[in-house]
Amino acid sequence: MISIFYFYPMIQALILSFKTGRGNNLHFTGFDNYIRLFSDTTFLTAVKNTFIYLIIQVPVMLVLALFIAVLLNDERLKFKGFFRTAIFLPTVTSLVAYSVVFKYMFGAEGIINKFLVNLHLISEPIQWITDPFWAKVTIIIAITWRFTGYNMIFYLSSLQNVDKSIYEAAHIDGANAFTQFFKITVPLLKPIILFTTITSTIGTLQLFDEVVNITKGGPGNATMSISQYIYNLSFEYTPNFGYAATVSYSIVVMVLILTLIQNKVGGDKR
Amino acid sequence: MKKLLSVMLASVVLLSACSSGGTKNDTSNSGSEGNSKPKEITVWAWDPAFNIAAMNVAKEAYAKVNPDVTINVVENAQADIVQKLNTGLNSGSTKGLPNIVLIEDYRAQSFLQAYPDSFFELTDVVKAADFADYKIGPTSVDGKQYGVPFDSGVTGMYVRTDYLEQAGYSLDSLQDIDWKQYIEIGKAVKEKTGKSMITLDPNDLGLIRVMIQSAGAWYTGEDGQTPTIADNAALKEALELYKEMMDSGIVKVNSDWSQFVGAFNSGEVATVPTGNWITPSIKAEASQSGKWAVAPLPKLAATTGSVHASNLGGSSWYVMNVDGKEAAAEFLSKTFASDAELYQTLNTKVGVIGTLKAAASGEAYSAADEFFKGQKVVSDFAAWTEQIPNVNYGMNTYAIEDIMVVAVQSYLGGKDIDTVLKDAQKQADTQIR
Repeated sequence: MISIFYFYPMIQALILSFKTGRGNNLHFTGFDNYIRLFSDTTFLTAVKNTFIYLIIQVPVMLVLALFIAVLLNDERLKFKGFFRTAIFLPTVTSLVAYSVVFKYMFGAEGIINKFLVNLHLISEPIQWITDPFWAKVTIIIAITWRFTGYNMIFYLSSLQNVDKSIYEAAHIDGANAFTQFFKITVPLLKPIILFTTITSTIGTLQLFDEVVNITKGGPGNATMSISQYIYNLSFEYTPNFGYAATVSYSIVVMVLILTLIQNKVGGDKR
Repeated sequence: MKKLLSVMLASVVLLSACSSGGTKNDTSNSGSEGNSKPKEITVWAWDPAFNIAAMNVAKEAYAKVNPDVTINVVENAQADIVQKLNTGLNSGSTKGLPNIVLIEDYRAQSFLQAYPDSFFELTDVVKAADFADYKIGPTSVDGKQYGVPFDSGVTGMYVRTDYLEQAGYSLDSLQDIDWKQYIEIGKAVKEKTGKSMITLDPNDLGLIRVMIQSAGAWYTGEDGQTPTIADNAALKEALELYKEMMDSGIVKVNSDWSQFVGAFNSGEVATVPTGNWITPSIKAEASQSGKWAVAPLPKLAATTGSVHASNLGGSSWYVMNVDGKEAAAEFLSKTFASDAELYQTLNTKVGVIGTLKAAASGEAYSAADEFFKGQKVVSDFAAWTEQIPNVNYGMNTYAIEDIMVVAVQSYLGGKDIDTVLKDAQKQADTQIR
């Protein structure tokens, strides 16, 4: 069963990635597709964009999630349940629905611009969706909004397992909150931080819904992700499934390499 | 544990046996129907207000000719149809595919050439000479006709006459102008009324496509295959005009369809140069009745052969090479392929401007439209339809356009135009194979 539903399609896709042609007229071309990858500027742009999201968004999101988790773990905090639910709630919304809402909020005449203009923070509305730089910022804000709560839950649950006596002992020894956070909380959460880093990395490499629904990859491919390029190759343009499979396999390779690096850097040294 | 596993295995075997039994029955049923007389035709199309509505009108008309045939019109978004056709045809299983499908003209060749033998030849059904010239290119391969040309994407320039008058112009001053003059008028309109002349989405190069087709040019050569971007005079002029528009402050930037429609419904833009299929959306704002008119499209000034007519979008009907193809072809031949009378109903009821030449002389086409100050809009559009230059869209319009969108962005950002076009050409050369 597992070999039929998991490995057979993977092998098929690998074989497909060595073929090229339009629609049904596929023929073997060896490593042509893989060579083409490196001269394909659209693919390289998509990779660059995806890595910009990865390098900026994942650390910001994880630090934010950890920070919120520590705050919400505080014994003295009231309405804990309400705050936890509120921050986790974005995670359960539909990807497409929230993307569409974000698109309208960040439109040239959207609520975000109106708000910023009324506060006199900006004098002219920001072209969130149609400016290459701001479009990327919009996407980053959108994914941060949706996935911070998701990662926070992991931190929160493992924080609950940390013995309070450790903090009490540290307090008696004169460690302030700052030292406690870096010397106790972070080291104890290390396996979870590694786990969330890997899942967030994979998630970002597969980013699709937000980009398609908010900016359609534009303006001029400025926000296009690798997954969207795969979709375009298969369905937007004249279908070239062989090359699309090659691009998909490039994601597999990237995920593998990044996970290995993260395991080396963050994992237990045995 | 072992017991559980064996139960699961057994149930899987049982279930798969059931399903294969079911499909066997299905195929034998449809097979016997196919041999005698298929009674059901499935149609896939998008846009309930336009294409689906048109298909339903044709369905009613055909019921009088042949009441035995049931026609199921299934609504799908265009992107879904493209996706389903690609996956269905590529998997090699024709099950689940419709008998008749609507395909956009820009995409038609990519299907006809990528999946040879998947479409039913309609050379006997459709007389190419009966239809507007420019529709035959996308709907045929090697002289064999595969599609029944449907709606015309003929373009015109919708204008707010009240804004124009405030700026010191009249509808007459928009006849026979080129895009340079259009920009000048736009500046005056902006200055006098504060309204933008046009609304554009930087991700959608529809206007560029319209401009180059008006000069008989495209992103690719006549073979539909070789990219002709670097030395394309029409394309260069179109890009220069596009930048001039953006730089002169007459453009209201939008980022999607609803903002596009919102821009003119709210009265923020003075003109909408686009395909005639926008008429229902323009009319949707009833309070603006009597303020709009339609002028001919401006032309390119420098490029020779540019005319005041072009095309944007447009789609045609295709018959899939599956059981029931004869019945489907028969249906199309009695309706969209020949019935000039049907096109009158289509025009009055749905607003369709067809490309069947015989239909243009009908009474519906010469009716005056109160919304447009009594202008005979449809007959104007029909007349422009005949002037649209025929170009071969080829298989790669959308792939090249994605390259062009990036090129346009870097050109707007200040890069030299010749370099931009050369780079785009290089990229297209390596990608289109």
